[in-house]
Order: sequence, then C-alpha cells, then structure tokens
Amino acid sequence: MNHKILGLVTLLYLLICVIHLLYFAVKKEKIMAVVWLTIYITFGLHTLGLISRWMESYNAGIGHVPLSNFYESLIFFAWCVSFVLIIMKKRLPYPVITGLTSLMSLFLMGYASLSPTVQRTIQPLVPALQSNWLHIHVITCFLAYAAFSVSFIASLLYLAKWKSIVPPREILDEINYRSIIVGFPMLSAGILTGAVWAHYAWGAYWSWDPKETWSLITWIIYAIYLHVRLVRGWKGKKIALVSIIGFLSVIFTYFGVNFILSGLHSYAT
Amino acid sequence: MNATKNKKNMTGPVPFHGVTGKIYGFLASLKFTILLFSLIATGSVFGTAIRQRVSLEEYLSAYSEHTVRLIKFFGLDDVYHSTWFYSLLVLFLINLILCTVQRLSRFMKIMRSELVLPDEKSLSAMELSFVIETERSRDMEQWIDKSYRRVMSSAKEMVYEKGILSRYGVFTIHLSIVFILLGGFADTMLGYKGYMVLTKGEAKDRIVTRGENTVERTFNFTLKCKNFKVAFYPGGEPKDYVSTVEVIENGKIVMEKDVRVNDPLNYKGIRVYQSSYGRAPSFLFNISGENVILKERETFSKDQLFLMVVRFESQIHGLGPGVLIGYLDKGEPKTAWFFKNAGRMQERNLNGVDIRLENIAEEFYTGLEVSKDPGVWIVWTGFVLMLFGLYVNFFTYYRQIFMRRRATDIIVAGFAPKGKEAFREEFARLKAMADGSES
Repeated sequence: MNHKILGLVTLLYLLICVIHLLYFAVKKEKIMAVVWLTIYITFGLHTLGLISRWMESYNAGIGHVPLSNFYESLIFFAWCVSFVLIIMKKRLPYPVITGLTSLMSLFLMGYASLSPTVQRTIQPLVPALQSNWLHIHVITCFLAYAAFSVSFIASLLYLAKWKSIVPPREILDEINYRSIIVGFPMLSAGILTGAVWAHYAWGAYWSWDPKETWSLITWIIYAIYLHVRLVRGWKGKKIALVSIIGFLSVIFTYFGVNFILSGLHSYAT
Repeated sequence: MNATKNKKNMTGPVPFHGVTGKIYGFLASLKFTILLFSLIATGSVFGTAIRQRVSLEEYLSAYSEHTVRLIKFFGLDDVYHSTWFYSLLVLFLINLILCTVQRLSRFMKIMRSELVLPDEKSLSAMELSFVIETERSRDMEQWIDKSYRRVMSSAKEMVYEKGILSRYGVFTIHLSIVFILLGGFADTMLGYKGYMVLTKGEAKDRIVTRGENTVERTFNFTLKCKNFKVAFYPGGEPKDYVSTVEVIENGKIVMEKDVRVNDPLNYKGIRVYQSSYGRAPSFLFNISGENVILKERETFSKDQLFLMVVRFESQIHGLGPGVLIGYLDKGEPKTAWFFKNAGRMQERNLNGVDIRLENIAEEFYTGLEVSKDPGVWIVWTGFVLMLFGLYVNFFTYYRQIFMRRRATDIIVAGFAPKGKEAFREEFARLKAMADGSES
C-alpha cells in the first residue's frame, strides 16, 4: 500500500515540475495557484504514505517509525523539502524556487523508488537503532538538509544569470540566509542528539566515524558562512559560494559517506 | 549591537601593545578562526579519506611506499589522535575564548551607553521614527508598557526594550563550545575505552583497549556474565541481545543489571555497554571414560598424553563439523582431526589413550564495551547551552523603542539589530495605533 501511495506522490512531484514549465511558457499567475494546490495535495499524500508505511511495519510485527534505512531516509528527505517549502511559503513565493524544490523532491523520490541498489522493503530494526533518539536525530538532520537544499537553490539562482525568471538578488541573498539560520540550529541539534544517542548505544559520544566527521565539516562550513556574514558583512556572490560549498558537504555527508566510506553508520545504506 | 554596521568597532579594546598586542589581536581575530576552521575541516577530510589506525601492510597494499612514508610523517594514519590535530583544537579553544572575551567587553560598553537616550536630531534621523501629539499617545504608550520593559525613564525621556536574552545568544553558543571542548579534552586525558569478551558464567576484571597497540587495563571490580540471551526476528536478524551482568567488588555482588544495546550499566562512572556477541564452540570429549569439556586453545593432560584444541571448522571436506587436536607423540608435535558426524573418525587412540568426540556445542559469548568518560557531563551541559543559545540567537529578537517628550508631542523611534523586517511591521502597527486614536 505505502509503495502505491509513494509511487503516486512521485508522479505528482513530476506533475508539479511540468506545471512549472507550463507557467514559465505562458506566465499566467493562475497557474501558480494550481501549483500550490498540487503541492498541498502531494504533501498530504506524502504524509499519508509515510503513515501507511509506519502502520504496515506494525502489521508485519516489526513496528517502527519509517526513518530507519536509506530508502526511508530518501522519502523522508523529500518530505522535509516539501515541508520547508510550505512553512516558508510566505518568503518563497517565487515560481523558480518552488519549481526547483519540487524537482529536488522528485529526484529524491525517483531515486528512492527506481535505483536498484536501494532496499525498499520494510526491514526490522537492529538493536542499535531501537532507541527514541533515532526519531529526533533523523528528524532534525533531515530538516537541516532540507533547509540547506533551499539555501543551495537560492545560491545557485544568485549565480545564475536568467534575469527574466529569477527573483531579485537581495531576496535570494535573504532566502539563502534565512534557510541557513533554520538549517544550522537543526544540524547542530542533529549532531548533538546523535552524540547523546551514540553515548548510550556505542559507548562514546564522538568516535570520529566518517558520518560524524563529515557532519562536523558541514557544520564548520555553515559556521564560517554565519561568521563572515554576520561579523564581516559578506554578501552576494562570495557568500553564495560558501553556501554552495556547504551544500556539497551536506550531499557528501548524506550520500558520499554511505557509498565511499565505511563506518558505524553503515546500516544507513 | 550590529557588528556589520561599524567595522572600526571590530578591533575592540586590546589589553596589550606592540608586538604582543599584534599577536593577541591575531589570536582573537575572526581571520584566525576561519583559518583554524579550515585546517580542522581539512584534517578531518584526510581522516576520513585515509583509513585510520590500520596496520602498515594495509597502507602498503593501498598506497605506494613513498605515499605511506608521507602519511606516517604527517600523522595522517591517526589524524584525530595526532599532536597537530589536538594543537589545532587547543588553538581554536584559545581563539574562541579570546574573541568572546573581547566581544563581551565591547558588548558591556554598548549596553551601558545605550541607556542614554539619543538627542532629538538623531532620533528623528533614525530609520524607524515618527512624531505623535501627546494627547493622542495614550493607547500607544499603554501598548508599549504592556509589551516592552522600561529600562530608563525620566519626565521626558524613555527607553524600552524587549528580547534582551537574544543579545546573549552568541556568548551562550561560544561558551557551549568551550564546555564541549573541555569535556572532550577531559575524557581524552582521564577517560578510557576498551572491550572484554565473556561467556556465560565467566568473570573478568580487565579490558583490552582498541587501536594499533592494544593495552590491557584492570579495574578494581570484576564483571561476571550471569546470563546471555539473543532474540531474533522471524527473518533471522537479531532483535535484542542482553547480558545479565554482575558487578563484584571485594568478593561481594554490588550490582546486577540486564545490559542491552542502548541501555548500558553504570557503576562508579564506568559504563558497560552491550556491543556485540558471537558463538564460541566447546567440545565434549570422552577421554578413557572421563567426560571433559574443552574450548578452543584449551589444554588437557592425562597419563602420557598432553593435548590442545587447535582449531574448529564448522564444515570440513563434507564430513561436517570437525576439531583439530594437537598432541605430543614422544616429544614430537602431531595433529589429529575429530569429526562429530563421521562415525569412524569420531574416535581415536592417541598415545594409548582412547579419545572420543561426543559432542560439539556452540555457546554464545557477549562482547562488552567498557568506558569511562568523566567529562561527559561537561559535554552534556555544553549541548544544552548550545541548543538554548542557538534558539535565543536566531529565533528571538532584541528590540528597542525610544521616546522623547517635547512641548506638545513625542518623538518615537525604534531600533532592532536583527530581524529588522518583522520589527518594521511591528513599528508600522505602532504608528497605526497612534494614527488610529486620532478620532
């Protein structure tokens, strides 16, 4: 059941992207109303998909919140991207931004459902994952990733030179900053809850495991961003580049570490 | 205190002059912070890209001899425990403390100076300001009194503020990092970590530390595994494993606890974690009528026979599980296989002693991680401070409202160092309130 709903959700994200293309072709404001309606419906179904997966895991006798393996994290990542888009709606009323965030969700959902390397069945939780820290750790980390995705999109658009559809640069700069001040505390909370959990599960709050180390590297890059912006007053192109480097580090923390480096987080694949 | 506004303010008070002052200035500077951040991040990248703390052979199989020499020279085979990496962290701590102190003293100065109400001219020149006739100001003043705190007030001058906590956010975050680093250093210096393996009924008072050079370490109590249980999911994956562990001190059981993954035992600041488990075989031999249970690498001697269990194979040449026994035949070492399920090869006569392998039982053993981290509470304090600081710094806002009474009207002005947009809206509402009381 959850696969059917999530499959439909993937198609809806595709639809949202297509409607955006339509908007850019004809530039009628009404189309954006349709976009937002579709976003709400998709988000509702996406939530339903997660809930149904949750319920199915209980029916299978291995009940747990669907936040435990790579597939579930991809689905949840996409959900967080939409969630951030919806809560920041007031600040992000730009078709090019809603379009690119939906494309991001589409990519994550598509990768989750199509890649042959992703294990899609509901798996039982190994003892190390049976902890209440799992939920708060995963939720904070992925909300951070989602917020950083928005800042990344804003930074890319800042550097892009498509004048006709891109919002004013000051606004992109502001969106970049706004998303990072949401993402940075979330990432910090994710690292700290992870450390507390590691203390109880592995016996050490910090083991320099590759995932831990890369999340620290990511944290450092965004800390640099905040300092050069708030203390040095950097704006514009330079700061957009720092934000992009930060997001590349996020991507490496999430994907790269799983595929290239082995470590304690290996059950995340 | 908007630091971006005035770059001249950035240097702040320097307690030293000349070269010392210059060095102090650099150590406390943001430039140095960013340099250290970059070096720590780069070091960490090396630490994840190059496998850490493995044997020389493994490095040689992955890299050329020259590269291995470079890796060893720069300590890249154990980045996180190398002197240079620690030095970076210590320098970072120094930098953090110095820049925070500098910033704090500047902040205190500003805090004191802000209690002085700006004069008419500068008030009117502020980005957010308006003038209202005194007789129409009641509603607005009431509202300000209700939602702001009055910090200065005389017959003619008033200063209000809100969200003062927000201004301490940065200091709280910086302080939290100091806590985390100090806690971490305390654990590195005073703490330890190791593991022990226990089968059911076994007791030990020593652990083996991990790393390239393993070291044994004893403590003044004994851990005994009273019981060990594993539960599996229908698909065969482990669902739960739990060791019932007794802590024995001076011959007395002082504690007993079911240690599970995510639920460690804590005795006098030493924590015992369920970390792994495995199966170890034990062999039931009948040696000339006597039943003897032996495990791998255990020895037994009777009459002219001295033997040792060398090796166990769960499957060998299609004969099923077998065990290799080593023994001395007239001073010469020899070996012999025993197979549990191959009738003829179940029994042998070695040096005139009849030996029969009766059974092979596989017994679970539990792997326990033992660690002591006395700094952990300092680290936890740092965590709480950091989350609080981040919240206060990014999600609460400091705002000020100034009022100066003139003969028949009042100048109202507002200032917010952060979250300007939202404050502009609030200020517009305030102005509307004043305008609204016109009728």
